[in-house]
Parts: sequence; structure tokens; C-alpha cells
Amino acid sequence: MRRSPIHIALAGAILVAGFLGISALGAGATTHSVVAKHQAVHARRISTRSSQPVAPELGIGQTLFDENCSSCHGIGAGGSSLAPSLLGRGAATVDLWVSSGWMPLAVPTAQPSRGPDRFTRAQTIAIANYVASLKPGGFAIPSGDVTGASVSLGQNLFSENCAGCHTITGSGDALSGQLNAPSLHGLNPTMITEAIITAPGNMPRFYPGALTAAQVRDVVAYVSKYIGHPDNAGGIGLGGNGPVAEGFIGLFIGVGACLLFALWVGDRSEDEESAEDALKEAHA
Amino acid sequence: MIDRLFTWFDNRLAISRSGRHLLNKIFPDHWSFMIGEIALYSFIVLLATGVFLTLYFVPSGQDVVYHGIYAPFDGQTMSAAFKSTLDLSFSVRGGLLMRQMHHWSANIFVGSIVVHMLRVFFTGAFRRPRELNWFIGTTLMILAIVNGFLGYSIPDDLVSGTGIRIAYSILESIPFVGSYLATLLFGGVFPGNGSIIPRFFILHVLIVPLVIFGLLGAHLGLLVKHKHTQFKGNGAREDNVVGAPMWPTFMIKTTGFLFLTTAVTVLLGAFVQINPIWLYGPYIPFHVSYAVQPDWYMGWLDGALRVMPSWELHLPGHMIPNVFFPAVLLPGITFNVMMAWPWIEAAFTRDDREHHILDRPRDRPVRTAVGAAVLAFYFVLFGASATDVLANYLSVSLNVVLLSFRVLCVVVPLIVFPVTYKICTEMSHTKGAGKRKQYNIIVRGEDGGYSAVPTEAYAGYRHEVLEPIDVDSVDLSGVMGEPEPTGTAGVYQIPRDYR
Repeated sequence: MRRSPIHIALAGAILVAGFLGISALGAGATTHSVVAKHQAVHARRISTRSSQPVAPELGIGQTLFDENCSSCHGIGAGGSSLAPSLLGRGAATVDLWVSSGWMPLAVPTAQPSRGPDRFTRAQTIAIANYVASLKPGGFAIPSGDVTGASVSLGQNLFSENCAGCHTITGSGDALSGQLNAPSLHGLNPTMITEAIITAPGNMPRFYPGALTAAQVRDVVAYVSKYIGHPDNAGGIGLGGNGPVAEGFIGLFIGVGACLLFALWVGDRSEDEESAEDALKEAHA
Repeated sequence: MIDRLFTWFDNRLAISRSGRHLLNKIFPDHWSFMIGEIALYSFIVLLATGVFLTLYFVPSGQDVVYHGIYAPFDGQTMSAAFKSTLDLSFSVRGGLLMRQMHHWSANIFVGSIVVHMLRVFFTGAFRRPRELNWFIGTTLMILAIVNGFLGYSIPDDLVSGTGIRIAYSILESIPFVGSYLATLLFGGVFPGNGSIIPRFFILHVLIVPLVIFGLLGAHLGLLVKHKHTQFKGNGAREDNVVGAPMWPTFMIKTTGFLFLTTAVTVLLGAFVQINPIWLYGPYIPFHVSYAVQPDWYMGWLDGALRVMPSWELHLPGHMIPNVFFPAVLLPGITFNVMMAWPWIEAAFTRDDREHHILDRPRDRPVRTAVGAAVLAFYFVLFGASATDVLANYLSVSLNVVLLSFRVLCVVVPLIVFPVTYKICTEMSHTKGAGKRKQYNIIVRGEDGGYSAVPTEAYAGYRHEVLEPIDVDSVDLSGVMGEPEPTGTAGVYQIPRDYR
């Protein structure tokens, strides 16, 4: 039996959606119940919002969730064939995915990509707190406060743990297959902290474990201050893309300008052409 | 007074006769003959800025603790080399400008050498009697690339450290002797005993530049001896050299060109950031950044490493590793064929005559097509050194990009060769190809018929072919500031006799 292209496309779409769901859950999801308690202990060390508004905000959060998220994640965030369950993922996870513009997806099968936050800050927090209220677990939204953190230790830790995928200038790069490590420019400290502690997508889990709470703050301080606002003391920064961009400038602007000057200073002899033609005519 | 001083020196050194001879040298006029000068003047900029940098750079792999202006490294342990490069960038007045000028100049240096080589190749300027000078020129290009890599490496930052790590592996991949060579150069297994920075440094600032300097002398000496090649026209023959005399015309042109080349370097150094090592951080052997590339002139080597499938050669008792083929064998073949090209071509064309009149590329379709195809191959490899950056910017799978480059580096040269060949043969058989279009004006006559009247290519401009005059027959010392003799617009000739 021949399958129509639509069937194949549909099957592909479902496969992609499933794949996305799995990657969104991340490696931590499977062992979640084991580490949840552990995380809850550590969560206290990452400074979080002191007062979490309760009743009225949860109602707004639920409305927003039902309107924008439930078509894929299901009423009550229990997940569906299109998207993973959010139960027990914590407010920090939801906040990161929504505030980064990854969610909500315009098309359920599309790859999440960075964009403007579709909600106001208060709305995003309301959704996050509503999801977190459904089942305990995960992290609360961190404050992103980095007072007293060391950018020097942060630089060293960034070089060791983050540069391998995000590149040392934080401009991000393609990984194998369709995956990529996103650019770290234009992130606020809260989002950076959330990414490190919740390990979105394929990102490895660094906290708790590889990094202590203080070290997370050091990395956040370095990324928010120096990766987000690189010190381009030397002039135009060329997007932090290093020698490839520099090579193009060197060849096309540097050598190119010198060649134009050569054209200006040197002569383009017309006689060469006329002599050649005269010669050809003589032969003919 | 000056006259007496000059006479005193001239009586002892006898410089006026040979000096007169040198000033009467004739340089043919064509803009493409000035490309080599870009390289020459970049080399001067490199020497000048390099001397400045040497005053502050500390070529040592010894650990020091940084307490300087740039906060993200405060209290970090790093090599003295990296620390001094940071200080050069942030604490030394004008240091960052000098660093950036040095680096841009290096890019322009190698770039202009390559363009110069292309000019020489495509116009057949390497043919007898200039085979040796082509050989010297190719050696100069290799040395420029090597010295560029050495200079890129010595700041000991995260990006260049990764480059050194790759260089170590490439060295190791050489059959039988590789591991010994690598250990010898690095003073132990990677990262060695910290001696690689001082070793690279002395190679970079003394040994390689000295060899470049010597070969450059030979390169220019041979140029003066053979006298410059020239295109047809203006009375140029195999046995003469037609153009502008060294003094005053060429001297003024070339000095102006020195300033222009320097100006480009200064502007780039002042306004466009290059190699911001403070954004990369110190090299720590177990740290690695993604998206690390070498400077462009090593890019094709990086690209070759990336597109090479994971093949190894298993010989009895010895394995030839994968890295050997793209990183040792490919450059080996490339540079050897390049150096031997004048003899290879002569063997095919059986042409052993002297040539001082240049070919136009279209008139030598096979050579031009071979050159274009090989150039296209290396350009694809250069592109392949940015597979990850391309995949990221185009939002395409990295694997697809890599596979595409594997296909492209075979397919593109195969397309470029016949297309170039066809364009060349078509152009050389078409009268006026490549010249400015002459429009025809259609006129209707009184009898009602139509006729086409061609217009001039350059309206109101009629070029007369000038007969060059012997430079020895006129006294050029008075040319400056005075009307040109007999209105020849400075077209002079000297006999071409180098024996």
C-alpha cells in the first residue's frame, strides 16, 4: 500500500514532537523523583523570591495556562502526546521556557527558538506559580541576585563548563544534528540562573552537583555582566565570531582596499588591448 | 657643502654610477604589478609594530597571578605570556592599537602574498628565467603562514592554545617519527614543560623573520636582475622593458602606496577588533571552547581536518592515523606541486624559451582552468573550517553542512575547471571581449534605409600608442618639476639584458 505524502509528513511531525518532548524533559526527568527531595534542600541555598503571592495570582495563572499552554501540555499540565507533563518541574523551569520566548510554540511541531516574552513579567510568574502549585518539586524562580559574586571565579568556571558548547564568547553554536547551544547574549541573571539549575533541553545538569550555589552565582555574574556586555575595547566586535569573521574583513576590506589603491596608483594600460586587437587584425 | 660630502662618500664607495643605474631602472605600468608591494609594505608594518610588542611581551609559560585592570581575571593564575598580552591591551599606552595593527597587518601580509602569487601564476610570470624566483616566492608564502601561526599562538589564550593542541596532534600523526618530533618540540607530552611559548617566540620574532628577510632580498634581487615582466603594448618586446623610470615616477608612486597600505592597517587596527584575548581567557589544557578557528590562512587546513572521513591506514605493525592525510599529506602535496609548477608546466608544454611578455589568462585556458579549479578546492576547504558557524547561522543541521562540504570539495573543482576553460577559449576568440561596450547609433538615411554608426568607447578620448624612448638618451635628473621631454608622458625603455 502506498502511503500519501501527508501521512508521512504527519508521522514525521509526531516523531519530531515526541523527540522534542523528550529533550525538553531532559535527562533529569527520569530520575526526577529521586532527586526532587535533594533539590528541594538545595533550592533554599539559591536565593529565591522572598514572598510568593498565593491565591489571586494562581487564578490568573490558571487562566493563562489554560488559554496558552493546555492545548499541548493538557489541562492540569499533565502532558499529552504533543508535549511533556510539567508536574513537579518547578516554577523556575516554566519561567525560563516562557520568558525566553521558547514557549508557547506557534506550531506544536516547531523547534523552540528565542523570541520576545509573550507575557508581562507578572503574567509569566503567575503561570509559573500556578504550574508549581499543582505538584511540589523543582526550583522556585530565583532572584538572580549576584551581589558579592566573583566574576573572576565565574570566568574560570564558564571557561571550564560552558564554553565547550556555548563558545567562550557566549555567541552559541550548532551542535550535532539539529541541536544548537543558544547564544547567551541578552539574558538577565534570573534566566541564566534558571538555565543552570533546571538544565533545559540537552543542557547537562550542573546544579546540584558540578557547581555549588555560590559557584552558580559566580557564573551568573560573569555571564550577565561580561558575556552579555562584552568589553569590545578594540573597536567593532564582529559578533564574537573570532578568526572566521576577522579573516573575511582582513581579506575583503584589508587586502581589498589595498588592491583598490593599487588600481588607483598603478596603471590599467589600454594599449595592451588595442595592440592585441591590432595584432589579431593583422593576422586576419 | 652637501655636494662636497657626497663627493667624499662617492670617491670611497663609488655609488653614483651604480646608483644612476638603479635610478634609471624601468618599472612597467600595470596595477597588478603593485600587489607584491602590499606584501612588502605589510612586512614593514609588521616589523615596526612587532618591535613595539616585543618591548612589552613576556615570552614565558611560567604561572603568574593577575591583578590588573580587567576584573574577570583578577586573582586568576595564568602564564606570564598571557598576562603580558593583557597588559599590552589594557595598560600599555597604544598597546592595543599596536597589537591590532600587527594582527591585521599579518592577515593582509599573507593575503597579498596569495593574491600576488595568483597574478604571477595566471599571467605565466614564473616561466624561464623566473622559475627560481617562483620557488623563493612560494617558500616565502609558506614561511609567512608558519610565522602567522606562531604569532597567533604565543599569547597563550584559550583559542590559540587549542590551535597548539591541534598542531601537536598533527605533528604526532607523522608516521614513525611523529611522537618523537612532538615530544622534542614541546619538551614532553602535551602541554609539555612550558617551553613551547619561548620556543615559538624566538622562532616568531627572530629565526623565521630573518629567513623571510634574506629570501625577500633574494626575491627582489632577482626581480631587479631579470627586470620586471610586462604586458604587450606600448612597444613592449621580449628584449626591452617599457614603463616609468625608478626616479622620479615610480619612487613617488610606491612611497605613496606604502603610506596607503599603512593607512589601511592603522584604520583597521583602530576601529575593528581582532583577537580579543581578554574575551577568550588564559589557556588551560583541560578547558576548551567550541567554535574555535585558526586565522584564515590556516583555515583550509582546519577545513580539511573537518571534512576528512574517519579513515585510517593499518600497516603491519604501524597505524597511519586519520589526521595524517588532511593535515600532513595534503599540505605536503600542495606545497610541493606549487613549488614544482614551472617545471611541471614546461614538461607539458615543452616550452623552454625565455618569456618576459606576460600571458593574458584567457590565452592559456588549461593553466587558467587548473589554477581556478585548485583555488576553488582550497576555497571550499576554507569554507569548511566554519561548518559549525554556518550551521548555526543558517539553522541547518551541522551534519548536513559537513556532508555538503565533503561533496562540494569534489564537485566544485570539477565544475570550475570546464567552465573556466570554456570562458577562456570563448574570450580569446572574441574580438574586444572584456572591453567597454561600444554603442551603435541607428540612423535613418534620406533614402529611408537604416545604418548603424558605432560610437567611441571613451567619448572624446583617443589613445595613441606611444613609442617608448631610451631612458639613457634623456637626462632624467631634471624631469621633476620640469616639462616632460618631447611629450612622451613618461614612457621609457631600457634593453633587457641580465647576463
